Amino acid sequence: MSEVLKQPAEFAAGVEFKKSWLGYVPAMLAVGGSILIVLLRWRMGGAGFISDGALMMLALACYLTAATFYLMNLYAPSEMAQKVGLWTATAGVFFNLSSWGVRWLAAHDRELAILQRNGYGPEQMPWFFRYIPFANLYDLSLAFAFGAGITTLLIAHRKNFRFLGAISLPLASLILLLARFIGNEFVDLPPILDSYWRPIHVGVASLSYGVALVCFAIAVIYLLKDGIKTEAMAIWSSIFSIAVLATVSRFSVFTSFAYGASTFMQTPSGGRRPIPLRVEIPMVGPVLVLSGLLLLAVIILFWTYLSKRSEQARVWGHRLLKLSLVAQASAIALLVSQIKTIKDVWPRLQEQLAQDPVGYQRLGQWIAEQQGLKPAEIAQVPVERLEMAARDFLQANGPKLFLSTNANPVELSALITAFAATLFVILFSFRTEKLIAALPSKEKLDSLMYKTGSVAFAGLAMLLITGAVWANESWGRYWGWDSKETGALVAWLTYAAFLHTRISRGWKGRSSAYFAIIGFLLVIFTYLGVSYLLPGLHSYA
Amino acid sequence: MRHCFCRIHLFPRYIRMSAIEETKNETAIATPPVAVSKKDAVTPSLILSKFLALLSSVRFGVVLLIIVVALSMIGMLIMQQNVDGFDKYYAELQPSQKLLYGSLGFFDIYHAWYFNLLLLVLSLNIVLASIDRFPTAWRFIRHKKLEAGHRFLESQQQHAKVQLETKTSTELSERVSRAFRAVGLRPTVTEKDGRVYVFGERGAWNRLGAYAVHVALLTIFLGGFMTAQFSEEGQMMLTPGLSTNQMTNLQFNLDEVKRVPVGLPFTVICTDIQQKLIHKDGSIMANNTIDWLTRIQITDETGTREGLVHLNNPLDYRGYRFFQASFIAQGSARTITLRLTKEADGSTQELSVGRNGSAQLADGTRIDFLEFFPDFRIINGKPGTESDEYNNPAAVLKLTTPEGKQLQAFAFAAELPSGAPVSAAVGGYKFRMVDFEKVPYAHVLSIQKDPGKWPFYAGGTLLILTLCGVFFFSHQRVWSLLEERADGKGFDVVLGGNTNRNKLGFEDRFKRLVGEIKGQPVAEGEQS
Repeated sequence: MSEVLKQPAEFAAGVEFKKSWLGYVPAMLAVGGSILIVLLRWRMGGAGFISDGALMMLALACYLTAATFYLMNLYAPSEMAQKVGLWTATAGVFFNLSSWGVRWLAAHDRELAILQRNGYGPEQMPWFFRYIPFANLYDLSLAFAFGAGITTLLIAHRKNFRFLGAISLPLASLILLLARFIGNEFVDLPPILDSYWRPIHVGVASLSYGVALVCFAIAVIYLLKDGIKTEAMAIWSSIFSIAVLATVSRFSVFTSFAYGASTFMQTPSGGRRPIPLRVEIPMVGPVLVLSGLLLLAVIILFWTYLSKRSEQARVWGHRLLKLSLVAQASAIALLVSQIKTIKDVWPRLQEQLAQDPVGYQRLGQWIAEQQGLKPAEIAQVPVERLEMAARDFLQANGPKLFLSTNANPVELSALITAFAATLFVILFSFRTEKLIAALPSKEKLDSLMYKTGSVAFAGLAMLLITGAVWANESWGRYWGWDSKETGALVAWLTYAAFLHTRISRGWKGRSSAYFAIIGFLLVIFTYLGVSYLLPGLHSYA
Repeated sequence: MRHCFCRIHLFPRYIRMSAIEETKNETAIATPPVAVSKKDAVTPSLILSKFLALLSSVRFGVVLLIIVVALSMIGMLIMQQNVDGFDKYYAELQPSQKLLYGSLGFFDIYHAWYFNLLLLVLSLNIVLASIDRFPTAWRFIRHKKLEAGHRFLESQQQHAKVQLETKTSTELSERVSRAFRAVGLRPTVTEKDGRVYVFGERGAWNRLGAYAVHVALLTIFLGGFMTAQFSEEGQMMLTPGLSTNQMTNLQFNLDEVKRVPVGLPFTVICTDIQQKLIHKDGSIMANNTIDWLTRIQITDETGTREGLVHLNNPLDYRGYRFFQASFIAQGSARTITLRLTKEADGSTQELSVGRNGSAQLADGTRIDFLEFFPDFRIINGKPGTESDEYNNPAAVLKLTTPEGKQLQAFAFAAELPSGAPVSAAVGGYKFRMVDFEKVPYAHVLSIQKDPGKWPFYAGGTLLILTLCGVFFFSHQRVWSLLEERADGKGFDVVLGGNTNRNKLGFEDRFKRLVGEIKGQPVAEGEQS
């Protein structure tokens, strides 16, 4: 018996265990730390403790910082940048989960206050899960970003894959930004949602959405590594951005060169109520149109380059792409700064309505709907009466109207996402060769894409099944083709196709990557599109 | 290869997955497909086999999935006729849209014949593709490949060669087996033609996971089919005192809703409805509600039993499930608290009466709480309500005097001017409603009998378990060939292995295995 005895297998395995365990320390620290923070918040109470909103902003800052360092590390590899990236990402996940946990306790305090105000005793306190922060899109976005963050950290136990944060963390930041725009006010939980299936269903949703996001990030990186030209990527990202520009502000950007921001009305109880009237924000419309035209030119130029190998078209395409980035950034800056500074909403609105009285009719219809009139009944109301109702309403409430970045969270986030897409294509075009060389091999990326894709698939299956069981237990039907249900099913089927194309034809790599990208886009469509565009049971979240 | 029997011949070779990689590296196992080789003669059996080949191909399955996705998207973008607000949506459509979507069945796409056909073909595809591929997967379990030659080993995802100065092949095979075990692979040692092979694997069962997933899916489909065929559903509007043995089934046809009564094998009597509000003084709308509770009695030939239905807590009886579904938003009162002022001496007393309930006074007068109006108004000479809101709440009472005389009285929440006719004393008393507990006019329960839910639940559970089984595990295999070196100074260990999933994890394991055999455990830096 020779060397085997000198190196007992148990010892070797022990070393190995310790080594692989070390890679998970950041994820464990982030989760463990936030549990501590939540316990601390529980012991100390809400007064003087950091709020969930502040923690969320810290998470956002950390994600952005980490992404910057990871990106730096891709272009100029350095151990330091990578370490800073990893540990700020860890801090980001920590703040993100802490924010969610602290929000749970804050919701508990709020619930208790409501009970006391109504003269109920603490024995009436609803159970623990009634106020779990899974009530609206803000809560869900917080959890979604956490899902993406923790997946990134878990994958980072392999050193080669730490770069992934360079893509996945900016995406997580966009989701947190969306949360910021939605606003962290608590909402009263619709009673129908008060079921123990909710934490299970929504928890599974946010984690599997997070994994799907990481799978998407890997797919994009894979395409880059596979040699897809950044010009081709620019065409797709520009199409996406133009689609965003065309749809925001009720399709008004390209039709009337104007961008209107949605308004809120102050309610007597100190709350706010969305009003279907948009106030035109000066300059924003034209700058958005300019960005759209630049992007269109980019598409044409890059198309020419790709089909006719015209070098000049390529050079000009890149110049215009950068110009459009500047234009998009200016539009967003103009929009956000003016939303924050414009106070004379009512006079502006009066001027606007004087030129375009159709706005009165639309508002009149909305008022009639609010009064519970059915569409057939509204159709019988004379237009003048609708207009009159709208004028009366505005006479009384016009001065109470105001602008807020929270009035249109999805539009603002979409504009910023379009900007980010353009930014990333520009980044990828910069020293592309070097960037590609710094990435792991295609096989490794493909393998990781498959792994995350299959976890997302399994997660989405759980999402569908738990949702169906919940629906059956609460409403007596497990499947009703509700638009959110169908959306989740469609995303799941796309991931199913992703997995099957791989086994059936040995399609790996590029085609799989396309499926992974489409799958994630469908997840986002289900997440936001269904809630904001389509009616149905899930229209609250 | 006997296990791939003739069935496989029905299917062209290309449609089978590269299922087992060793097939192509080993002996040429796959026999040329018989059907395809007879390409000149177009016989019915050829057409049939080609059709079967198409139906059972995974590629066709992917195409079907894409079609299901596309149709489902249409159903998401075009509002379906059973969704709330469809009438508004439908009213705003252009006539041409109505005609086009209507004729294509887009307003109820998930129940259209072509959608059902698509699901049927998809189920068939799942069954056939699984049958087609199962034998190959079964081979991984029943007929393991235990030996491997140089060429095979070198063509594996992972391969390595280790030189060791061990004296005998037995000693070496023991050492290699120990290393296999140390990294979690179960070793089998084979000696053949003077060569020693050690084969190790883990998770062979994982090869069957995909089939279990498909069984789960088919179980879910079965549940869906049973629901579509055998389920009964309907709604029931209940106010206290109401008794019924019917439910109403809603049938949608574009913007028209047809109400069809469906008989039940028992009678339901509503005894009480209650609404727990967040703000007691607030509205009775959903956003101010914690819970709705409906108490019922169910009577059939076996007797009578009490039951409570509340939100997210359905009641089960004889395969029927009662759910709290919605409510009629006209304000009413569950109990009222009355202040009675005796006309004779001005003395007052307070008493509570439940909806449809009554109370007896000390002097023998009986008070029945008949009706409640949230916004009291005399309409056409009769008491009624102006709106659904609690603007002017009033209760209608029936007084039965000790002498048996029946009188009608009103109790208002608001202070009335003393001269008002309704505030005049009735039966010797003046009435005032000092408090009332808000509740809607009626609760709507939905009732469902669904034998398909059991296969659905079973299939769903199985789906989650099997998907975890498939994706969180993998079948990892390593072969090693132990060869004495030509110079007699020890042995060469040639290793090769593959996995069906988790290549990165397998790569780590393989490196650790090589390290174990060498006697040098792998450091973290070498991890991929």
